[in-house]
Amino acid sequence: MNLAIILILIPLFFSAACFVSGKKLAPYISLLSGIISIFYFLLLMGSYNVKDNYLAFNTSILWIPSLRAYFHVGLDAAAILPMLLTQLVITLSSLGTIVKGNGRNASFYSLIGLTHAALNGFFCAQNPITFFIFFEAALIPIYFLVLNFGGANRQQAVFKFFLYTAFGGLLMLAAVVFLQVNMHAYLHLESWVDFYQNKMAIKYQYWLLAAFFIAFAIKSPIFPFHTWQADLYTQADRPTLIIIAALMSKMGVFGLIRFNFLFIPALYDWFYYLILICLIGVVYGALIAWRQRDFIRIIAYSSLSHMGLIAAGILTLTNKGVQGGLFAMIAHGLGVAGLIYASDVIIRRTEESSIDSSSGIAKVNPRFATYFFIILLSTIGLPLTCGFIGEFYLIWSIAEFRLPFGILAALTLIFGAAYMLRFYQKTMFGVSSNNVLNFDKLSLSEDYVFIIIVVLILALGLFPADWMGLGQFAYQFMNYIPTK
Amino acid sequence: MMLAFILLTLFSVAILFLGFIKQRNVIIPISILAILSAIISISTEQNFWNHYLMDMIRIDFNSKIVSLIILYTGLALVPFFALFQKRGNEELADFMGIFIFSIVGALLMVGAVNYMTLFLGVEILSISMYILAGADRRKVKSNEASLKYFIMGAFASAFMLFGIGLIYASTGSLSLLNIASQSSVLTDFALVFLFSSFAFKIALVPFHFWTPDVYEGTPTLFTAAMSTIVKVAAFGSFYNLIQLNTPLLPDWIQWYFVFLILATLIIGNLMALSQRSVKRLLAYSGIVQAGFILMGFLQLDANSEWPIFFYFIAYTLASLVAFIVVHFVEVQSGSDDIDSFAGLSKSNPSLAIFMTLALISLAGGPLTAGFIAKLLMLNQAIQSGFSALVIIAVICTLMSVYYYYKIVNSMFSKSGDSRWSIPFIYNGLLLIFIIITFAAGIVPTYFTNLLRNF
Repeated sequence: MNLAIILILIPLFFSAACFVSGKKLAPYISLLSGIISIFYFLLLMGSYNVKDNYLAFNTSILWIPSLRAYFHVGLDAAAILPMLLTQLVITLSSLGTIVKGNGRNASFYSLIGLTHAALNGFFCAQNPITFFIFFEAALIPIYFLVLNFGGANRQQAVFKFFLYTAFGGLLMLAAVVFLQVNMHAYLHLESWVDFYQNKMAIKYQYWLLAAFFIAFAIKSPIFPFHTWQADLYTQADRPTLIIIAALMSKMGVFGLIRFNFLFIPALYDWFYYLILICLIGVVYGALIAWRQRDFIRIIAYSSLSHMGLIAAGILTLTNKGVQGGLFAMIAHGLGVAGLIYASDVIIRRTEESSIDSSSGIAKVNPRFATYFFIILLSTIGLPLTCGFIGEFYLIWSIAEFRLPFGILAALTLIFGAAYMLRFYQKTMFGVSSNNVLNFDKLSLSEDYVFIIIVVLILALGLFPADWMGLGQFAYQFMNYIPTK
Repeated sequence: MMLAFILLTLFSVAILFLGFIKQRNVIIPISILAILSAIISISTEQNFWNHYLMDMIRIDFNSKIVSLIILYTGLALVPFFALFQKRGNEELADFMGIFIFSIVGALLMVGAVNYMTLFLGVEILSISMYILAGADRRKVKSNEASLKYFIMGAFASAFMLFGIGLIYASTGSLSLLNIASQSSVLTDFALVFLFSSFAFKIALVPFHFWTPDVYEGTPTLFTAAMSTIVKVAAFGSFYNLIQLNTPLLPDWIQWYFVFLILATLIIGNLMALSQRSVKRLLAYSGIVQAGFILMGFLQLDANSEWPIFFYFIAYTLASLVAFIVVHFVEVQSGSDDIDSFAGLSKSNPSLAIFMTLALISLAGGPLTAGFIAKLLMLNQAIQSGFSALVIIAVICTLMSVYYYYKIVNSMFSKSGDSRWSIPFIYNGLLLIFIIITFAAGIVPTYFTNLLRNF
């Protein structure tokens, strides 16, 4: 049954609808698109039994016969968590824009719809070439979102971002074509299984691994490839930033999950160094975040730190690492979306984005402070919030790999607590400064955004078992190929 | 085939004379009729009068497809000639007549199986283009372009003639079909001269020096014709020549191509990075794209034709859109500097969107024809064992992304001046090109099957 492709078509259709509907209606159409996607996705999940079949609802079309390239999308165990996150975050991002004085026009929502479609396609992609297409396709609407609706210095920031990611993408293109050409002489290359079963000769694996790792490291970003990040984050429009930070960054680590097992012998030679690089990024990101005064920069560097941790856990190639990685992806996505939205609420009201410029918001608006606090607890990985279990598994897997590495990884929790609590303390407590005295009450849509995020954080934190199970199935299918 | 030549020639002469009677409105319909009649006679394979050809021209599958690409490109360009109507009757008739005559040359080149017809086609096409390059005779730059193109083109023709002479000396025949298969030093030299003259026409580095100046000086509409019709015709006949002569080709020819590709990709991209004039930038971009097309020549087997033809189509569509947008911007602001594109997204959103999509296709963005075309070319290069070339090509593509998006950045950032619009029909035409670009990118097989059945 070709049901998964409808997940891509829904946002595409509504994107076109937004484009023609005009400024007034577009936000609601975009929201509607998100809600329909969520319900459709839940409907699919309801009839998907992960134990019986690893791949469901897939559509497979022979796309370019001379390359034996298939266009193949479908749902599998690895895709479910990121897909859920995508539907949620996009919907929250459009919901968050329904506030007073929102100057965004219809094309904004249209581009959000295109991003949504591309991301759905990306996470559902069932072979490298489809994966690559959507990997690149998601970049283009994001580029225009930032270029059209960003801050004052957006041009340089978005250009840098675009060049970096385009470089990674092109490197990946060469690798994908190489993979396809070198395997295609004797094989049917329809889905990931075909690639996992037939690995390349080891001398090629190093090259391919390097190309894929750089592509994903740029996208995530992981430590030495992160230099575009802080600039873009400060310049992007914040609903766009929610998508970039919560979803685009997951594309990189998700790519690592998908491609790791293709390069198994080569990766065993390198993973010590790759994990070390990721962990350097963890500590580095946390330290830099500590030095920042700007909200968005704190979030940017904390993101760098967390993505490094997720990537390191995934690269250990263990069951725990992959499970923890998948779960931490959704936890970080929700947490960072909440943090950015909270910053957005503060910045819109006080027109300041430095932690020194406003204080004592908790006294004026305790409700907001409570939401913010729960989100913050999740991002620093407190037990019973969804941030805990994923990071716990990640650190566990890294500690089993090398104990010193595990200790290094665990540092992220301490640093995270340090900079996040300082962020909270400076803005929420103390004497209320002048610019927060008339800190408006949260509007209805803002309330909804926070309530949804908080409920999800607590719900996933209290009942993580089923979701973690998905990660285990994903691991099994990638490492051990089921015989159907 | 012959019928198409005769019809086009008669029509072009008739159009030249139409300039004398005061009927400006009939010129464009008649030109469309001319090209349509040629399309029909080629796609239905009319063999009327073909027996007069005496093995000088042959229309097989490859040349049919390339001819159709050329004719459709010409057809797409004709409506834009209406802009010359304002400038007087004679000019419109002259330009249109010469333009249609240049298509005759292009078709002759593509269909030639004899070196004499090949040379005839090259000269008909080139001389028409020399004239069109100088069409804007009030501007010094246009005159300069015409002269430069003429001198360089004459050089290329001389090279080609010399190559043909050497071929004749070594084989005793001017036919492309029945050449003795053993190769000698003489044929090696002949091939170098022949291929170099083609590289001149296609504008491959290091034979590219005329391109940016000529493209810049030529009125933009004719630049569009130059970058599409001339390039496709030259590549088409080049492909024909190589395919028919495969037994004659020595081993070093692959390395000669690799050298040309590397030089083209690297130098073309490096030069494009620093351009301020969008036309010059697109000229270098065309050079780089030609380098990509040449990758398809590395491996000539039964499957190599479609990647090349697909690239022709993808490149032609994107390049037409880009040049036509430049044309309108130039009409509006009087310059093709990258700054005159600033704020185009505000002043004329549809043009900005078309240009963006065309540039995405040129840069090889996913889901466009340009992406599939690049993918197929990289595939060809890897299959013929040049993996390192692929890495360089990818890095070069990144550079090209930089300068294409420089234009996009400019269009979408600074606020422009007043709004202006272009006639509805032009918007519609550009939209059709863009839709085909995406259709070819999303369902390439369906698209190629559609073409195959023509």
